[in-house]
Amino acid sequence: MKRPPSLTLRLTLLFTVAAMVGLLAFGWITEYALKNHFDAEDLHELKVVAHAVEESLSLQQSSSDLAPIKQRFDDILVGHHGALLHISDATGRLIYSSPGQDLSLMPVPSSGQLPPDGIQQWSDSRHNYSVLIQQVTGKSGTGYTVIIAVITDHYLHFLDEFRRTLWIMVIGGIMVMGLMGWIAVRHGHRPLHHIVDQISRINASELNTRLDPEGVPAELTELALSFNELLQRMEEAFERISNFSADIAHELRTPVTNLMTQSQVTLSQARSMEEYREILYSNMEEYERMAQMIDDMLFLAKGDNGLHPPNAEDIDLKNEVCSLFDYYEAWAEERRVSMTLEGTAQIQGDRLMLRRALSNLLSNAIRHTPAGSAVNVQLSAAGNSVHIAVQNPGAPLPAEQIARIFDRFYRTDPSRQHSGEGAGLGLAIVKSIVKTHGGRVVATSDEIYTQFRISLPVTGRYDI
Amino acid sequence: MLFARQIFPRDQLAYGHTVKLLIAEDEVKTGKYLRRGLSEAGFVVDLAHNGLDGHHLAMTELYDLLILDVMLPDVDGWRILKSLRDAGNKVPVLFLTARDSIDDRVKGLELGADDYLVKPFAFTELLARVRALLRRGASPAAELNLSVADLKLDLVRHCAHRGGRRIHLTAKEFTLLELLVRHQGEVLPRSLIASQVWDMNFNSDTNVIDVAIRRLRVKIDGNFDLKLIQTVRGMGYLIDAPDGD
Repeated sequence: MKRPPSLTLRLTLLFTVAAMVGLLAFGWITEYALKNHFDAEDLHELKVVAHAVEESLSLQQSSSDLAPIKQRFDDILVGHHGALLHISDATGRLIYSSPGQDLSLMPVPSSGQLPPDGIQQWSDSRHNYSVLIQQVTGKSGTGYTVIIAVITDHYLHFLDEFRRTLWIMVIGGIMVMGLMGWIAVRHGHRPLHHIVDQISRINASELNTRLDPEGVPAELTELALSFNELLQRMEEAFERISNFSADIAHELRTPVTNLMTQSQVTLSQARSMEEYREILYSNMEEYERMAQMIDDMLFLAKGDNGLHPPNAEDIDLKNEVCSLFDYYEAWAEERRVSMTLEGTAQIQGDRLMLRRALSNLLSNAIRHTPAGSAVNVQLSAAGNSVHIAVQNPGAPLPAEQIARIFDRFYRTDPSRQHSGEGAGLGLAIVKSIVKTHGGRVVATSDEIYTQFRISLPVTGRYDI
Repeated sequence: MLFARQIFPRDQLAYGHTVKLLIAEDEVKTGKYLRRGLSEAGFVVDLAHNGLDGHHLAMTELYDLLILDVMLPDVDGWRILKSLRDAGNKVPVLFLTARDSIDDRVKGLELGADDYLVKPFAFTELLARVRALLRRGASPAAELNLSVADLKLDLVRHCAHRGGRRIHLTAKEFTLLELLVRHQGEVLPRSLIASQVWDMNFNSDTNVIDVAIRRLRVKIDGNFDLKLIQTVRGMGYLIDAPDGD
């Protein structure tokens, strides 16, 4: 997978882009305003001249005597530095042209196409002009074409200059903003680095360390809390594992001690065949118990590590319970315990595993039921879950025993360690199987009965 | 009290010829005891201590069954199996392994292993599986009747008679008795009985099987001097006419 770009890079780029957009918009608006301003000034200038020219022409009687009017035009232009004038009559005869300038080259659109009050831009080899063209009718009815122009070189030059400066400023601004953004982001990330520092200092023996969620910025509180929860879970898991290892060592010590003592004592002197055989049988029993324990522990270890992906078969729980009743019937009868089943339920799950879980619950219940009483199994379905309750009458279990009843190697009665009750892994296996199936199991106990209640999702929705 | 020879009947009698097995096991002690146990059960056993020897023997000699450890030095059990199957050799193979992972199991079965036993296992369990694999090829005649001494089982009507008298058995008791009689003279471990009769493929921490056998014994042997159902301590149960008459 491609590694996503660093946060610093992302944020810096974002800053830079934002700065670029802002500065460019600012530059564009400024330039637009300036240009508008210059255009308005030109227009005003041209209009004033046009007005004066129009006034003069309207007083002109005939086109015969042009000298006085030329004088007037010169006067008009004196007050407007840089304004040029070019007047011709309808026949194309030149009436007046500003000295030193030749606007006659300028194309004059026919009167119908003149822009109303419009300024045109024009340039010749020497200058740039803003031009106003008007048709004026004299007193005698003569038509004149009046071209008034102002040279715009100076402000076009200014605008060019301004644009260049603006670009430099924008580029410089972008760079400065980018750099500042980078610095700000680095600085802003400091709490993050701080947390990383804290986390990197935690090792396996310090899993009780917690981050202070108050000591970090609000955005990181969630992270700190989640991390603390992770630590909590890890701490518990670690503790469970180390307890488990200690328990295993302890559980193995007893049978190994028995085997060693027994074998050494037996070998210390010659004995009869019968005695040797007896010792071997006795050893067999210990070995079997150890093999069983190893088996169960491996099963649990696999469950812990999600190595038991359960099958999803359709299972009729009533059938399963009935075949377990069948299996335990003789044993239960011998203990004068009867078994009853109520209800029915279907589920998707792993038949072998669920059968094992139910078997463990059932044998546990039968074992703790007083003679003459009954173990009751209730199946029910509600919505998307199925409930299996295994109840047995008997002495109520104290709360502290209930709390630990699913713990590995936990036995409610420590003195009964070797009375065929197994290694104390049966209920832990039940819990592991139920968990693998995405359900939960709860134990309760009161004066009337002790109950184990399993809740499972109907469809195979597993928490692996 | 039963002795080894009685507990593990000599199998060449049952199969009509000498049955030859190969064990490839690098654990010296395990190999030695497996060989002794299987030899005493009447099989002719070759033992290889590493994968190379095992591979060589498997490819050159003719065996009725191979027992291969998965983890062997040089050439592991899987490669031996693969060579055999590639060469078109269909000899039944039983794997022994200390690692029980589903992946391993699937891999073994995909390569064509016939059975899979996880250490630690009971020797009786191994023996029962070996016999089951050896029997597999030979399709058993559809028997209608089975008998041990004066005990007769009618498989069609699901009823049992002993000494001419009908014995009333529940369905499960009959199934249990049939299993014992079919494996007459073989020790059946409790785990095998639980899985064959009740389909319970895991060990229970109870003495369910003992109780069931005890009840069956009362019905079968209760009124007779000749006791047919025998307990083999530390191993399991068997049914046989004593002294093999």
